Parts: sequence; structure tokens; C-alpha cells
Amino acid sequence: MAAELSDGATRAGSEMAPAVQVEGLTKSFPGTLALDHVDLEIRRGEVHALVGHNGSGKSTLIKTLAGLHEQDEGTISVLGGEPAAISSPAQARELGLRFVHQDLGMIDMLSAVVNLALGRGFDTGFAGHIRSSREIAAAKEHLAELGYEFDMRAPVGELSAAQKAGLAIARAIYDWEEACLLVVDEPTAALPSGETDGLFRAIDRARAKGLGILYVSHRLEEVFRISDRVTVLRDGRRVGTYPTSELDKDKLIGLMLGGEQLEAHARRGEEGERRDGLLVARGLRGAVIEDLDLDVAGGEVLGVAGLTGSGREEILRLIFGAQPRGGKVQVGGETLTPDDPRAAMRAGISMVPADRHGDGCIEPLSVRFNATLTDLGRNTNRFGALRRRQELAEVNRWIERLDIRPRRAENEFALLSGGNQQKVVMAKWLRLSPKVLLLDEPTQGVDVHSKAVLHNLAREVASNGAAVLVASSDDEELVDICDRVIILRDGRLVGELTRPQVSLEAISRMEIDFSAEELDPRPIS
Amino acid sequence: MSERDLKDPAAEEPRNETPETTPLHHDPAGVPTTLPTGVSHAGADQGGVTRRLLASFGPRRLSAVYLLIFFLILFRIIAPGTFLTGTTIQLVLGEGVVTCLIALAFLIPLAAGSYDLSVAASFAFSLAASIWITLHSGIPPVPGALIAVVVCGLIGAVNGFVIIKLRVNSLIATLAASQILLAAVLLISNNEQMVGSYPPKWAELGTGKAILGIPNDFIFLIAIAVLLWFVLEHTPIGRYLLATGGNPEAARLSGVPVDRMIWGAMVVAGVLAGIAGIVYSMRTGVFNASTGPGYLFPAITAVFLGASQISQRPNVWGTLIAYFALAFGVQGIRLTAESASVWINPAFQGVALIIAVAIASRQIGRRSYGI
Repeated sequence: MAAELSDGATRAGSEMAPAVQVEGLTKSFPGTLALDHVDLEIRRGEVHALVGHNGSGKSTLIKTLAGLHEQDEGTISVLGGEPAAISSPAQARELGLRFVHQDLGMIDMLSAVVNLALGRGFDTGFAGHIRSSREIAAAKEHLAELGYEFDMRAPVGELSAAQKAGLAIARAIYDWEEACLLVVDEPTAALPSGETDGLFRAIDRARAKGLGILYVSHRLEEVFRISDRVTVLRDGRRVGTYPTSELDKDKLIGLMLGGEQLEAHARRGEEGERRDGLLVARGLRGAVIEDLDLDVAGGEVLGVAGLTGSGREEILRLIFGAQPRGGKVQVGGETLTPDDPRAAMRAGISMVPADRHGDGCIEPLSVRFNATLTDLGRNTNRFGALRRRQELAEVNRWIERLDIRPRRAENEFALLSGGNQQKVVMAKWLRLSPKVLLLDEPTQGVDVHSKAVLHNLAREVASNGAAVLVASSDDEELVDICDRVIILRDGRLVGELTRPQVSLEAISRMEIDFSAEELDPRPIS
Repeated sequence: MSERDLKDPAAEEPRNETPETTPLHHDPAGVPTTLPTGVSHAGADQGGVTRRLLASFGPRRLSAVYLLIFFLILFRIIAPGTFLTGTTIQLVLGEGVVTCLIALAFLIPLAAGSYDLSVAASFAFSLAASIWITLHSGIPPVPGALIAVVVCGLIGAVNGFVIIKLRVNSLIATLAASQILLAAVLLISNNEQMVGSYPPKWAELGTGKAILGIPNDFIFLIAIAVLLWFVLEHTPIGRYLLATGGNPEAARLSGVPVDRMIWGAMVVAGVLAGIAGIVYSMRTGVFNASTGPGYLFPAITAVFLGASQISQRPNVWGTLIAYFALAFGVQGIRLTAESASVWINPAFQGVALIIAVAIASRQIGRRSYGI
């Protein structure tokens, strides 16, 4: 490939064997081919960016390098060594591969010194006592090398996000003489946009030590800022590897999306009666979201798109009051008490949360218990006792309607498949006849058949006059069911698409493009 | 997926419809109709009665009953003269009332996922306070007992405050509370034995046999158990408690007032522990400083073993069955091995607790209900 011949951007060390050479890597999971004969060469002393849209195979590739997945085919060779598979994280470490994962893996209660020592062991003296002053001095030195300076004894929880990221890199390359590759996976996802300078300086210094660096990020401006070469993945295949200097933003986005324009399959029911301003949010603020205004009409399905970390994950939780919010939320003109899910429910809001196991269900209890928890009062007699038969009848009707299998209300919830669990959660909220239905990742980990059922339900609820909000990382889902899609980036609203402009390409473009405001979304006819 | 299946799911939910006895089983075209084997259709009560009965009475759900029967037969054979006599049974049942009340006090917060380790200390406090009232004030026993119970309820409310508002883990909060209660008890009793000045009718109230020769306090225990069982299994409040214990965050997001549930459960635990103290005062009317702590362990064991019974979560009847199964076991060993009588009880309880929680955690399987 011509791109690989021009070599202007790479530094010294390219004459040596590459840090890591991946050849023909293939990995399939039931139903999907996650990696399809992917080649990748990361040289020593280069920052190699790996980019691709959601589901392009980036994380599978990294997990295979880390020894967490075993490939079906293909080889990995480290420093020109024997091409082989990496069968365990311990082996990956031994080979000199180091990883900084998105969640950083820090223990907030412990000090920087102790966190640095985790997984490596302490410097111990007589009778195994920890040589604290030596440890602290060594930790200081390692972080100073990366350009950081802070109190090594303070609990990590008190450090800023940027300092934590620096600490994670310092830990990964503590023994850098033995390391050859540093993989940094979305390191800036948790960082405020202004605090990335320190991180880039640290990466620069790691590069100067002769390490190969594989940099994974959704933020394209960072790719242009720091990387020497870029490998683009799409649908599990390598599109190509290019010197960064030969690319520009438009070219890169084009490579990522492949110029394919998927047909928007509208599954829209008959037009419901629209009721403007049913759900109104003004100045909504959360952990990521800053000052967001939102108007959703009754009868429409509004999608919320955005990459991980954009605020897409929290917007529905903020509206429902599942986490603390600033700003005002109104349903039908009435302002809701913040941080109170019960107030939201009284106002007619239902929320199907994204984390089904953590937030959506009570696993040890039965389907019946779970389905009726949102309103037990309707199945009680005048003495306040539950009418078991009436309750069972109601649950059985929902089981029929949503085609929940197996058709047993008394089954333990945990025994159901993901799709059927999600249908129970849906039933639990639909039975309240919500005015506003919030669906957070409604079809994550759900089979195709259940997905169709859930999508149809969302459309139907809207055509009955409710406002439906769908926040999803699955852009295709948004194209399928939404009348309108808003796009978030870094906690802010950066774009809005209304049918017939809603398309995969338009959404993806606005999610990843740091200057999408200037672009006109191209309508699909 | 046919359209009629999804017709208007949100809007037309009927409220007071009579239960369907024959639900429809139409499988829409294009949908696989095979169900996992051994799984019946919704509302298939008609077909599966035998199987359901078998399941309900099988050893997996009622292991403690089988354990009880095993102990009864074993010790009937080993100690035919002494074991299955009226005296032994009376003794075990009588001793059991107080422990069972304390166990129920522990059960209610546990259903909401919180520990109350102060129940035995509250029990001791209630006993000491009600005796003190008979000795040092002109208040008659009944209002005196009522005051003790109310104070125990307030202790529960303080526990709730510490757990909810001060965000102290329930295990630690109530462990600390039990120490503070111990201090209060020592203060009241001056670290001396106290003999209550009760009229003879007071003891009669507890140990008299008004119905079928069964001690009154045992009937009282059953009445409280029925009440708690009804609330826990047949009212929205019980559902809320179990939801809170099963997954507090999911419960909160489903509109369950989680904090109020935990708080209320702590108050009920205090009240039940207080009642246990009153029942004890009817039995002996004597307090000494060592009364109390010894009751915590058998109570906890009964609740956890009980949680592996019947519904596979903390429940009232499982707790009582589990308690008596273990109590008859302990009594049998006491009678057959005289020299073992002192140390056998804690040893037996310790082993039983580990086995109970091991069974319960296997069946419940996830981190919930404090297991």
C-alpha cells in the first residue's frame, strides 16, 4: 500500500523490528465476524492511532492483544519474535505489552504510590516491610518523567481526572525498559476537553523512550494532534493504514464511514396526534451535560445520539431524576421536583434504564413481582392486600402481548433471556400508560426478534400520543424508529436531524466530526 | 409479529377485569413455537398441580422440615425415655418464643437488605427497662411494658437515621447501637440482677394455657408471625421491602420509597425486639446483665437457614421452621450427651449458620438480602 511507503511522520527506530506485528487476525462471535483478517504494524517510537465507528472491531482487536480473547486465525509477533497467539493477560505483560484501559483501573481510596505498586509489588526491605520513602521517591520520579507533579501520598480519588490518567500511564510503563507497546484506549473519554495537554505530553515522552503506542480514540482532533500514522477499521476489516500528515478530517471520516448510505427503513405507524411541548427541559445540567434545552412533542419518537462520554448515557437519567440534575424539567407545563423518580412517575414519565441488571430489575424475584412493582395499588383490595389472581391475570396479559417466553409469570426473572427480560422491564413501565417514555439503550444485548417487538412498541406508544425518547449507541436503531434525532458531543447539543434527513451517515458524521456544525447534513431522498 | 398482539398496549390496560382462566396461546406466524422443555404456559395451573405440590414440598424448598423430622427420629431412637416427651417439647417451644421474636425482628430489615445486629441488645434493654419501671415507679406493668416497647421503636428509628441520613453501613451502625444499648442496660441495672415486682397475673399472661394447652406466648408468637407473613407476602409494603432488599437501586428507579422502607423496617425491628423483652419478663421476670447477647446468634441462624426455605428469600415461616429444627437438634444432643451440654449449643449454632448461609447463597445466588 502506497500509504505505508511514505514514512515522513515516524521517528527513529523504524529500522528496527516493529514493536508489534499483527497478521491476518480473525475473530468471530456467534452471529458476527468481529475481525476479518486484520493486519496491523506498530513501529517502535510511533504513535499509531486506531479509529473506527462503533462496532468496527477496535475493542476486539485490543482485547485480543491483551490476551482476553483468543483469535480464530492470524498471528501476533512482538519485536520480530515468533508469530503466535497471546493466550493470557499475564503472557501479554511478559511480552512487553502494556494497557491503559478506559476505566483506568485505579483504586480511589489508596494513594498514588500504592496504585502504582498494584500488580507490580512493593519495594520491600527487612521482614517484608514496605520502604515507603523509597517508594514515594520512585513514584515522584516516574511521574516527573511524564511531566506530572502532585502529592504521591494523597488518595487517588482526590486527584483530577487528568492526573489520574497520567498515573495510569506511569503505572503501565513503570518498567518501560521491558515494555515495547503501550495501548491507550479512549484515555480522554473521562477528561474535560481542556485537560488533555498533560496526557499528550506524557504520551510524547513515552514515544521518546522508543515505545510503540497504539492510541484509540473517538476524538478525531486528537488523532490529528498526536498520531504519526492512522489505521482505520470498518466492520471488522482494515480499510488501510495512512501517515497522518496525508489525511485530513473529511478524508478520515470518509474512510471510517466508507461512503455507504444505508437505506433508512421507516417503520412508522400512522401519524399520531402531535402535542407540542409535552416534555420541556431548560438548562439541563448533569455530570457531562451542560445547559441543554429540549422540547419533545407528544406523538413523536426523539432519538438521542452521541458517542460514549457525550452525555448520551445520562440525559434520560437526568430527566427521570435517577441522578442529580440542574435546570428545569416540565411535563405538560408542570415542573418536576429534581432527583425524585417518584415525582417523575407521578407526572407520567416512565424510564427503561440502560443497565438492566443494575437498575432495571430485581433478579431474585419473579417476573410477576418485577412486572407489577411500578404500581401495586391497582391490584389491591380495599384492605390494602394484593389480589394475587388479578395481578397474575394482568401479568399474563402482558406476557401474551409482548410475547414473553417462557410464558410463566412465576419464573425467576434471572432465568429469562436478555430479550425477554427487557420485555418484562418494558411491560413494567408501559402498564403505567406513560405520557413520556424514556428508553435508554432499549435493545442492548437483545435478540433480533425481541428488538423488533420493542421497536414496534416504541412506535405504538408514540402514535398513542406519548412522547418517546430513545437514547442509543446503536445509530441504526435511531434511524429505524425516530422521527427526529438530536446529536450530543461533549455534553452539548451539536445537531438535530428531522426526517427525512435522519440517516446513519448524517448521525455518524455529527457524532464524530468536531466541526459538524459547519456541515450541512445531506438529506436522503 | 402480528399487529394485534401489540395493539394499544399502553392505553387500554383494563383495571378491574376478572381473572382469565383460559389464556390464549396463539403463536404469531414466523415466531418459533418451541418452548424450553419442562416449562409450562402462562397460567397453566390446571396441568401442573401435582408437580407444583411436589416442588413446594420437595426437600429443596423444605430442607429444614426434613432436618426436623430427622432429628425427631434420631433422638427418639437414641434417647427414647427423655426426648419426645411433653416436657422436652414444652421446653423447646417455650424457650423458642423469645428467640423467634428476635429472629423475626432481624428478618424484617434483612428483607429490605439491611442488618440489625442490635435486636438482641434492644431485647435486653426492653426487659431491663420494663423491670426497672416496676421497681422504681408507680406505673403498672402493662403501661410500663408499653413504654419499653415504644422506646425500643424509637431506638429503631435512631438506627434508621444513622443508616439513611448519616450513611453508615447497617452492619456497623447496629453493631455500634448494640454497644450503646449495653451501656444503657448496665446503667439501668447497676450491673446487678433485677427481679421485677410483677403481680402473679403477669406470668399467667405469658405462660398460661388458655387454648388447647398451648402456652399463651406461643400463640402470641404465631399471631405476630401471621401478621408479618401477611404484610410481607400479601401487601404492597412487603413487596417494596423485598424489592429494596433484592436491588435497592432498581427499586428506587421503580418508584419504591427505598429510604422510608429501610427506616420503617428498623422501627419494626425495634418494636419486635421490645415485645420479645416483655414476653421474657412474663416468663421469668428476672434480668441480669448477661441476658441478651446469647439470643442474637440463634436468631440470625434461623433467619438465614429460613431464607433457604419455601420462597428462597427471607421469609417468616421458613424462619420459624428453621429455628425449631435446630432447637430440637440442640435439645436432643443435650439430652444424649450430658457432658456436652454447655459447649454443644454454640458449636451447633456456628456450624448451622455456615451451612445455612452456604445453602441460601447457592439458591439466591446473587448478592441480595445481605447474603
